[in-house]
Amino acid sequence: MSRITSDTVSVAISGVGGQGVLTLAEVLAKAALNDGFNVRVGEIHGMAQRGGHVVCTVRIGDNVHGPIVDSGTANLLVGFEPVETIREIELIKTDGLVIMSSHVQYPVAVSMGKAEYPSEEEIRSIVRRFTSRIIEFDAFKLAKDAGSTRALNMVMLGAIIGAGITGITQESAIHAIRTSFPQRFEEINVKAATSGMEAVRKAS
Amino acid sequence: MAKAKELLEDSPGKKILLLANEAIARGVLEAGVRLVALYPGTPSSEIGNNLTFMAPHISDFYFEFSANEKVALEVAGAAAVAGVRSMMVCKGPGLNVAADPFFSLAYVGVRAGMVIVVADDPSMWSSQNENDSRYYALMGNTLMMEPADPIEAKSMLLDAYELSEKVGLPVLFRTTTRVNHTRAPVEFGPIRSRPKTVEFTKDPLRFVPVPAVARKRHPWLLKQIETARELSEKSPLNFTLGKGDLGIVTSGVSYNYVLEALDVLGVKAEVLKLGITHPIPERMLSDFLRKHKTVVVVEELEPFLETHARRLAQLHEISVKIIGKEQGQFPRVYEYSTRIVAEALCKIANCNTPINWSEIDEKVAELPELPPRPPLLCAGCPHRATYFAIRTATRGKAIYPSDIGCYTLSIAPPLETADILFDMGSSITTACGLAEVTDQDIVATIGDSTFFASGLAGLASAVYNQHRICLVVLDNRTTAMTGHQPHPGTGLTGMQKQVPPLDIGDACRGLGVKYVKTVEPFESIAGLVAEVREMVKWARENHSPAVLISKEPCALLTAADRRKTGEFPGRYYVDQDVCNACKRCLNRLSCPAMYMNPDTEKAMIDEALCNLCGTCVSVCPQGAIKQEGAK
Repeated sequence: MSRITSDTVSVAISGVGGQGVLTLAEVLAKAALNDGFNVRVGEIHGMAQRGGHVVCTVRIGDNVHGPIVDSGTANLLVGFEPVETIREIELIKTDGLVIMSSHVQYPVAVSMGKAEYPSEEEIRSIVRRFTSRIIEFDAFKLAKDAGSTRALNMVMLGAIIGAGITGITQESAIHAIRTSFPQRFEEINVKAATSGMEAVRKAS
Repeated sequence: MAKAKELLEDSPGKKILLLANEAIARGVLEAGVRLVALYPGTPSSEIGNNLTFMAPHISDFYFEFSANEKVALEVAGAAAVAGVRSMMVCKGPGLNVAADPFFSLAYVGVRAGMVIVVADDPSMWSSQNENDSRYYALMGNTLMMEPADPIEAKSMLLDAYELSEKVGLPVLFRTTTRVNHTRAPVEFGPIRSRPKTVEFTKDPLRFVPVPAVARKRHPWLLKQIETARELSEKSPLNFTLGKGDLGIVTSGVSYNYVLEALDVLGVKAEVLKLGITHPIPERMLSDFLRKHKTVVVVEELEPFLETHARRLAQLHEISVKIIGKEQGQFPRVYEYSTRIVAEALCKIANCNTPINWSEIDEKVAELPELPPRPPLLCAGCPHRATYFAIRTATRGKAIYPSDIGCYTLSIAPPLETADILFDMGSSITTACGLAEVTDQDIVATIGDSTFFASGLAGLASAVYNQHRICLVVLDNRTTAMTGHQPHPGTGLTGMQKQVPPLDIGDACRGLGVKYVKTVEPFESIAGLVAEVREMVKWARENHSPAVLISKEPCALLTAADRRKTGEFPGRYYVDQDVCNACKRCLNRLSCPAMYMNPDTEKAMIDEALCNLCGTCVSVCPQGAIKQEGAK
């Protein structure tokens, strides 16, 4: 395969507006920069923030120029929520890794009875049509246990680092957390990230 | 705010991760810009969001959130005419608002560098159209530059000011969403100082384009553009890269996709990357066309460069095959990506794509439909209460002209209170047109920032021409959609100075509106419904505009305040013993914090998402929704 698929690491992060997807992308990229990597982050602001579906991209590698992750090119797909994970499933490479939080946040259409939320088994079978590698855990619960549900994105950061694919070191990730948030949140955020790392290590 | 502090650092050589918008804010410091004026518009919003927090810490610098883009361009244009470097920033449709001064400014020219940053939005992530602003440079004869990424967004900005001063014309600095909202490592350069004041030297026979003056200025402008073209021919911002029989012409964000596509495919080509796209370096482009048998033009949206290439080929009788949008090889809609460029190049070079994308597309087509999750009014948004009341009071039968802001999201069920929208301020004026030719009741809605930006002239016209329209001003005390910028009604300036706010009610009364009332939407939903009914009746009976101001801060601001103070009202919950699973709350409000218990079908409130507005309490016919600590 060509260089872009061998040297470049593309991460797609999918979730719901308000879950901290954008912040995760920035902190992850900061960590990559700490480790001396060339990096690009793709963000969408505005309409996408109002409780709707949000996807962000982080691309790492010498040959990276643009921010977009095309279908079939993501080494790693990080889903903050089951349906939002499979909404972006086409991005994953054939042998790419999916990290998914199993905690469900019902879309309004489901609450209104206008649409049905797929079952856990359906969700897993959809993922399997694109890749056999999936790690699943309740990141929402881990965030809550770490001290705040708002630390959900830091649990996912830990999970990404724990998966090892990005080449980003644990030290750089912790450093990026320390320099990105007010000190009073540091303990919770680091704890959340650590539990994310452990969850991935346990599962893989 | 933390980012703004970092952007102020006098530390040349430091490399940090920046959005192009943040890099442009930093570039303002490095270019010694004295004044920046703008009205916020995504995807350009973070430029102002950072500058407003930087401004109080920069000596001899002025930043303002102007009432709209036309105002901003006039403020910044005058500063550059006076002789200091200035900048105006807007989104694509914002330049349409500022088009009038834009054209005049090129005729009179500037004495110091001026840059107009315009952020286009291919794929319309947050805009009502994807108009290609590059044609403004062509039509108005301003210079134009197109940075490809955050690194160029800063470096080319410094070049833009140099170039602007060499020819005395403003530079249109055209970005797109995937430039503005991409983060990349950007290196800081030295900060340049700014003059405190300059003396305005009068020259009315240049700066007042009455016909006799304008007739002289137009030939001057065309001469300056030819001077600029020579600079464009020699500029290192227009360059070629790589070798190959195939030629590719590109600019802006597409350059990244071209490089990555060539890399993925292993195809050899010579790439002509244009940083200055008006005036186009005609000799350079013609030579490039002569050198290659086939030249592919890669650019998002309209065939701007492609048309230039075809024109030059015809003019200089160059025998070259130019491939672009005209043959349908590249789309004219939505943003590009490496895939789109790679697939087109494969068709042209007759090779296979490295990834079997059609196979992936087939697999995607077979997937079951997923429950949609479109953007919605936030949990606790005061607009939800107001729209619920408007819809209830008019039984969904009135016409609901909408406007530009978060509240346009009321288009979605179950609120469905957005029926017509053109542009900023059109809620009032479309209401007028509809009032004349229909017999239906009309309840228009406009946000507070939009009211000051583009509502005043429409309202004056509605009063004077006696249109029977109802206008609800959704006053959430901020410009919410673009990230909470202040506006004339907030009492805060771009310099972070507290000033007396303008009062929307006073403004309406001042314009001659006879019916002006203010309500607080969370106080009583029943009361709000009664107010809307009364307003509709009054407008019909009096054949004049009536205004209801629904005043309540944006839920995100309220939530942030509560987190800061640590003081929260009691949480809301659904008493599962009282709830009879009628689903009225779920079906009428579409609040993201409410969901149905899959086992009992009864309503539930997600504590983590609820912003404690209490609107659901009054919607429940059973009284099942309760607040902790309330009696």
